[in-house]
Amino acid sequence: MSQKKSHEDQKYIDGLVHNNAFIIQTIYDKFGPKVINYIKQNSGDEANAKDIIQETIITIYHQATEKGLKLTCPFDAYFFLLCKRKWLNQIKKTGNKEVTINEEVLSKDDDAQELAFETTLFEEQHSLFKDMFQDLGQACKDLLTATFKIKSMEEVAKSLNVTYAYARKKKSLCIGKLTKMVQESPRYKNLKS
Amino acid sequence: MQDQDYILFEAYLSRDLSLDDIQIFENRLKTDLAFKDAFQLYKQTSNFLEHQIKNEEKTEAFKKNVEDISSAYFNKQSKTKAKRINPWYYSIAVAAILALGFFVTQQFSNPVYSDYANYGTMDLTVRSAQNDVLNKAEVAFNNRNFKDADMYFSELLKTDNNNMELQFYKAVSLVELNKYEKADALFDVIIQTPSVYKNKAIWYLALSKLKQGDEIACLNVLKTIPKDSEDYKQAQQLIKKLK
Repeated sequence: MSQKKSHEDQKYIDGLVHNNAFIIQTIYDKFGPKVINYIKQNSGDEANAKDIIQETIITIYHQATEKGLKLTCPFDAYFFLLCKRKWLNQIKKTGNKEVTINEEVLSKDDDAQELAFETTLFEEQHSLFKDMFQDLGQACKDLLTATFKIKSMEEVAKSLNVTYAYARKKKSLCIGKLTKMVQESPRYKNLKS
Repeated sequence: MQDQDYILFEAYLSRDLSLDDIQIFENRLKTDLAFKDAFQLYKQTSNFLEHQIKNEEKTEAFKKNVEDISSAYFNKQSKTKAKRINPWYYSIAVAAILALGFFVTQQFSNPVYSDYANYGTMDLTVRSAQNDVLNKAEVAFNNRNFKDADMYFSELLKTDNNNMELQFYKAVSLVELNKYEKADALFDVIIQTPSVYKNKAIWYLALSKLKQGDEIACLNVLKTIPKDSEDYKQAQQLIKKLK
């Protein structure tokens, strides 16, 4: 995160973190139409716009709750950039759809570009971790779920009917295993480069 | 990394190491790049799990909230769009019905006076600006106040009896007032006199007969309308319908 002062639009980020329905509604009302228009003009429809907006809001939520997110630019520019990139990526994946609007029409705001880039990177990492966790063996999944839910390792050990020392050791090894899986994934190498 | 490295990472993060061990650990972070990278990723993974698992319920509640607001928002969007389109459909439908209705009335119903009496508005003042009675006559006629119009026309005709235009509009007013005898007599006078109102008077005499329900008389008058009259075409149509 940069050391810059946070923008007054930080209220939107904070509102998302606190699951504030009023803020979520305001984001839709104020920033939704521009995204919907863009997607509609670029081979998409309202249903696509609905998904893109929803996914973007959830990504921002994840980043804000997991890493803290300090907004250094107007929310409008940041949000639109994220939605736009997400849509362009989706188009790229499905192929042969036409994009009529110039890629960099909107934002000459460097802060917005930078912040949107960070969020996109975070999103890719987040999804990589999530997928790798799903691929983890069931025993590890159960242990880690119990560990992070219950918090006290004594109780975790009790609930799984193992000793404290074993539970603690298992926890490190399971996280280690997941770390290795992430590290060895080609997606991780792409993220690093 | 080896298993013991991961165990060490966890111990460090849980603050379970002795001060000496912490020192050794932190020194290694500074010198061993692979160790540092692995530790950072371990920390990141641990953070992810903590957030993902511990906040699972909160996250689900958030997603549900967004989904609800999103669905409501997009439903409203498509409803507004539907509303925006509907008036078009309605107006097209109304226009179609009106057109059809007009066609049906024109083609199949009995012709009536009001279908043909398109005398519009009169515009006398231009030619006789100073005459107050004339102004009043014109206003009354254009407002379909035929009783007053007839009165003003009569007054004007006292001094201007040969004015065929005034006579014609007076006759039309009389038809509107259902004073057919007077009206028809006046039309006859106009028809007998050479003027630009001659053919108009024949046409309106026919319409007067139509309004009276005397279709035979109407037909007879219509047949006298000369080909060069501007109402000839309409007259022929009316003849067809009356036959």
